Amino acid sequence: MSTTTGTATTPAPAPAGAGPRTPAGAKRALSALGKRLLDRRFLPVLGTVLTLVIMLAIGEARYGGERSFVSVKLFSNLLVDNSYLLVLAVGMTFVILTGGIDLSVGAVVALVGLVIATLLPMGVPLPVVLIAGVLIGSSFGLLIGVMVQHFAIQPFIASLAAMFLARGLCNVVSVQSLAIKDEKFASLASWSLKFGEGRDIWKINLSMIVGLVVLAVGFYILHYTRFGRSVYGIGVGDGGNAITLMGLNSARTQVWVYVISGTCAGIAGILFAFYTKSGFNLTGIGMELDAIAAVVIGGTILTGGGGYVLGTGIGVLVYGLIQVLIAREGLDSWWTKVFIGAVLLAFVILQRAISHKRS
Amino acid sequence: MSNDVLVRDTAAARPATTGRDRLQQVVHHRLFWPVVALVALLLACGVRSPGFLSISVQDGHLFGQIIDILRFSATPLLLALGMALVIATGGIDLSVGAVMAISLAVSLTYLDASSSAGSVSTALVAVMIGLAVAVIFGTFNGFLVSVLGIQPFIATMILMVAGRGIAMLITQGQITTVTSAPFKFIGSGFVLGIPTPVVIAAVVFVLVALLVRKSALGMLLESIGINREASRLAGVPSRNITWFVYILCGLLAGLAGIVYGAPTMAADANNIGLMKEMDAIMCVVLGGTTLAGGKFFLGGTVVGALILSTIERAVVIFHIPSQITPLFKAIVIIAVCVAQSPRLREMIGSVRLPSPAARKTVEEAV
Amino acid sequence: MGPPAQWQRLLSVVRTTRTWWQYAQRVQQRAAGKAKMSQAAAPAASPVVEMTGITIAFPGVKALDGVDFTLYPGEVHALMGENGAGKSTLIKALTGVYQIDSGRILVSGVEESFSGPNAAQKAGISTVYQEVNLCSNLSVAENVMLGHEPRTGPFINWRAMRAEAARYLEKLGLGIDPASMLSAHSIAVQQLCAIARSTVVEAKVLILDEPTSSLQKAEVDELFAVIRSLRDRGVAVLFVSHFLDQIYEISDRLTVLRNGALVGSYLTAEMPRFELISKMIGRSGEELASIEEGARSVARVSKDGDVHALSAIGIGKSGQIQPYDLALYPGEIVGLAGLLGSGRTEAARLLVGADKPDHGEVQLDGRTVKLSDPLVALKHGIAYSSEDRKKEGIIGDLTVRENIALAVQTIRGMWRPVPRRELDALVEKYMTALNIYPANPNMLIKNLSGGNQQKVLLARWLATAPRILVLDEPTRGIDVGAKAEIQKLVADLAGEGMSVVFISSEFEEVLRVSQRIEILRDRVLVEQIQNGPDVTTDTILASIAAGHSITETEGSAA
Repeated sequence: MSTTTGTATTPAPAPAGAGPRTPAGAKRALSALGKRLLDRRFLPVLGTVLTLVIMLAIGEARYGGERSFVSVKLFSNLLVDNSYLLVLAVGMTFVILTGGIDLSVGAVVALVGLVIATLLPMGVPLPVVLIAGVLIGSSFGLLIGVMVQHFAIQPFIASLAAMFLARGLCNVVSVQSLAIKDEKFASLASWSLKFGEGRDIWKINLSMIVGLVVLAVGFYILHYTRFGRSVYGIGVGDGGNAITLMGLNSARTQVWVYVISGTCAGIAGILFAFYTKSGFNLTGIGMELDAIAAVVIGGTILTGGGGYVLGTGIGVLVYGLIQVLIAREGLDSWWTKVFIGAVLLAFVILQRAISHKRS
Repeated sequence: MSNDVLVRDTAAARPATTGRDRLQQVVHHRLFWPVVALVALLLACGVRSPGFLSISVQDGHLFGQIIDILRFSATPLLLALGMALVIATGGIDLSVGAVMAISLAVSLTYLDASSSAGSVSTALVAVMIGLAVAVIFGTFNGFLVSVLGIQPFIATMILMVAGRGIAMLITQGQITTVTSAPFKFIGSGFVLGIPTPVVIAAVVFVLVALLVRKSALGMLLESIGINREASRLAGVPSRNITWFVYILCGLLAGLAGIVYGAPTMAADANNIGLMKEMDAIMCVVLGGTTLAGGKFFLGGTVVGALILSTIERAVVIFHIPSQITPLFKAIVIIAVCVAQSPRLREMIGSVRLPSPAARKTVEEAV
Repeated sequence: MGPPAQWQRLLSVVRTTRTWWQYAQRVQQRAAGKAKMSQAAAPAASPVVEMTGITIAFPGVKALDGVDFTLYPGEVHALMGENGAGKSTLIKALTGVYQIDSGRILVSGVEESFSGPNAAQKAGISTVYQEVNLCSNLSVAENVMLGHEPRTGPFINWRAMRAEAARYLEKLGLGIDPASMLSAHSIAVQQLCAIARSTVVEAKVLILDEPTSSLQKAEVDELFAVIRSLRDRGVAVLFVSHFLDQIYEISDRLTVLRNGALVGSYLTAEMPRFELISKMIGRSGEELASIEEGARSVARVSKDGDVHALSAIGIGKSGQIQPYDLALYPGEIVGLAGLLGSGRTEAARLLVGADKPDHGEVQLDGRTVKLSDPLVALKHGIAYSSEDRKKEGIIGDLTVRENIALAVQTIRGMWRPVPRRELDALVEKYMTALNIYPANPNMLIKNLSGGNQQKVLLARWLATAPRILVLDEPTRGIDVGAKAEIQKLVADLAGEGMSVVFISSEFEEVLRVSQRIEILRDRVLVEQIQNGPDVTTDTILASIAAGHSITETEGSAA
């Protein structure tokens, strides 16, 4: 995943027949590609890629030294540290594409962590615990989806209520931080493949794989299935009218995007537990904003209807880089929140400006 | 016209002639069920714990469980008053908890740095600075919502999360603890025997009520929340009004932060005001204001705040694990949201879908 | 009230009025005979859609009353009628958006009861709306093919999808890149995409609901070429439009609805334009027709030496209304007449700060003012009552009192509330003057009847003591009694020196209240008529029906 992803996000590659066999054909294909890239719908994504490049450049310039800042190791670390966020952001992308929002994900992550930490010592088999964790997420998604679709409650209110509910349940489970000491769990969490040598060593671990698989599945669903296109169709903001007329099921799609987001939150909860090896009722406060930030920085329009899940992937990298840069600058960790807030604000205002210009 | 609206008819619309009518009027009053719930809760507590309802006087100060309930209602009420106005315009302010933390952090940091933390004037200045900062953040929220047109929950959520970071920056990541008798008085003192927070909340309630009901602000707020376009055509300056309520909401959140933090005098940026936006929203919806905007009820919000703190007290009295309280609050909010949903009314009532009004509008629009 | 009753009433009105109507009556009878004939003469094929006795009632109003409608394969059939005639309701009944209360719908001879547009589409009935009902954020190919997209295994085959979409677009002569975003194209092209979609599902019936409202001439031609080719392929096209020229250009037959009842079906070629309009607008009842003669507006206009209270100089907004001039003297009532979609509302909105004009300026008492928003206009004494009472008028959850107070309050500013006593007096005054029922200022306005809501809105504007009052369809959807009251009120107000712009789709009403009538057609102000004893609804009809020539009458040219 690098800067070339910008073109890969094109759901519709250059038309057939205009293959770059002849020089003229190649030229035409190139100009078509250029046009496609400058297409308005890629503007926010271009902004994302640009942000990533600038941040990498800053990193390289400030900490580049003898060992270059930009390295496989950097990206490996970014993914290891942020795989849970990647999963959350992929789920959030579905919801935001429909013009909705899911504010419950941070609380669900905390709840899943606590449930894992509580169930494992009780001797419940690990696979059952993991599946239960994912299903907790799905059920919260279903709850929100039903409230939004069947009771016409605004998404932010429905998911805010679900967030309160999940936090409330967290408190019931435990108000202490519970360490997860299960051996099998620990071995799953620490499993990794190592590459390279010495200080350049980098690795692929389980959560990274899960994160990338979720991203790939999200990409497949959004760009290569009817359901995925319905998600975009709902985002046009007519209450699913147009896609219903196309014979697609808007009501079901509307509920499913929240189930997907909830399920992703469940998976992210497990990944976060892998990462921290504990459960705590106050984890994940503000994590929903991180996920939203990653999605919005990744070029998805907050009002729905436009964006790319691969852009979200880049958004997560940008988020991770912000953290890395802040750490390297020796700033305190709470700067991260302020920074993310500022960057999110900048992107939201940018989107407003673009949509305002359009209308 | 559909018949479900009759239920929501204002009481004054029906001349009360017979006793039965009057009873109907009382039962249909929107505060009826909240008040019943409050009274039932108080009675239940009273039965369980006999001394519950008694109030004693020590050193000229009022003490008792009821007084405690009033005292603990102060913070959520301050937040909820601002929140009610914001919700009336069809918005929401998720940043109130963070603003509480910021204003307290600012006040206490000022006191900490000052050489005369114990003097009344220093404490006053500290409060003023805290409130001024809260106003700045309210202005920021209002600007994003009313001028830039960003959705309220996103605009205020940025501050909800970033705000805690800002509070941490102010306190340098420490839990700033100060000693200042005049400042502490705000949280744990007594005025004429009544706890200061109660007095502050009461005064603020009266001021806000006067502000919105003695000026035209309340009506214009509601008209914006009910029908923005019709309001615009009638000349309602919705941008300025929307901006103003976010400023007011920020100011009240700042005040709530100071009142909340004054007894302990510890600016814990991570925990002050955490999840308090939930409390505020709960007080507002319990008071009969719908989250969709429009009509708002400040009196109802007071009842909501009292219910909230009574529940918290009841949990202790009934020896229920206190961790359950947030869960209970969440369930209440979900239940009220679903109950307020127009869809549910349609399901319960035998009104045909789509509603006649909507169909007629469609007909006219095409 | 079935069609015959409607006709009887219509004819009785006609008989009592003028000789023109005797002529009309003859034509009408002839046409009635022809309607039957035309059905017999229509293509030998059996009808693809046959609707009989369709009735749909909403509480308090019958939107459709025993309407019959037949559509044959290979014809372009225009559905005509003014606002509230029931055109959209009929289409929605056919496509299953509304369930019918009685009647039968046969599609290709089989009785159907569609659960929604989706089901109708499966049965071969596709609809293309004015507001294109596609996803502008998806590609053209997706909008044409989704639901029938080619796949390879579980994957959408994008390449095949684009190729196939291109093929369907090609058939309509549309050579656009299927991979491009729908929003990158003009509304006209988007509509053609919607039509292309209907060819994918092999629709037997294509409903075009006001497809041309926002199109340029060239685009309309393109659309019509497509419609003709579809017709020649045997598709039945149901066409709704307010543009008479287009109806005559494209349609084979037409069906006229009025107030939810069928007026008749006719061969377009044999229906004179003039007569068609009279059938569409009908008469609004003996009561008003008889008043028309005697009780003309009594208001006096003091022209001599006075400056215009308001004058608009070349104001216009692209896509909404062509630049126009309008001058109002104190105490003058100017009517804006035109069919639906003629730009009458758009013209009014520019005068009151509701929309910002691209061109021109507005002068009050000879001084140029910038009406940047409705509040500024209100402060200058200009009040505007919108035609959309529900969306742009009432504040439903507020009381009658508050609704009346609103505009006065915004003028005073929110920190200076209207004193309770003053407000009570104001409310009392207008509730009595306008005879608002129930006479309870504490009722929520949404619980009042339409007519009383309208009166409350009038009270809101009158309470601001405006010098200029712009009323857009103030009597729509309200009963005859309230209607007459409002008309009288307008005349009285003008008598006191208020200038009024009065918009209505009922020409009698415009004639009755206004001293001067501005005629609008196709978003252009085309003619100005000084009202007088010899000006009748026919004059207005003739002016609207006239081609594109602009006739000069007395008074300054528009």
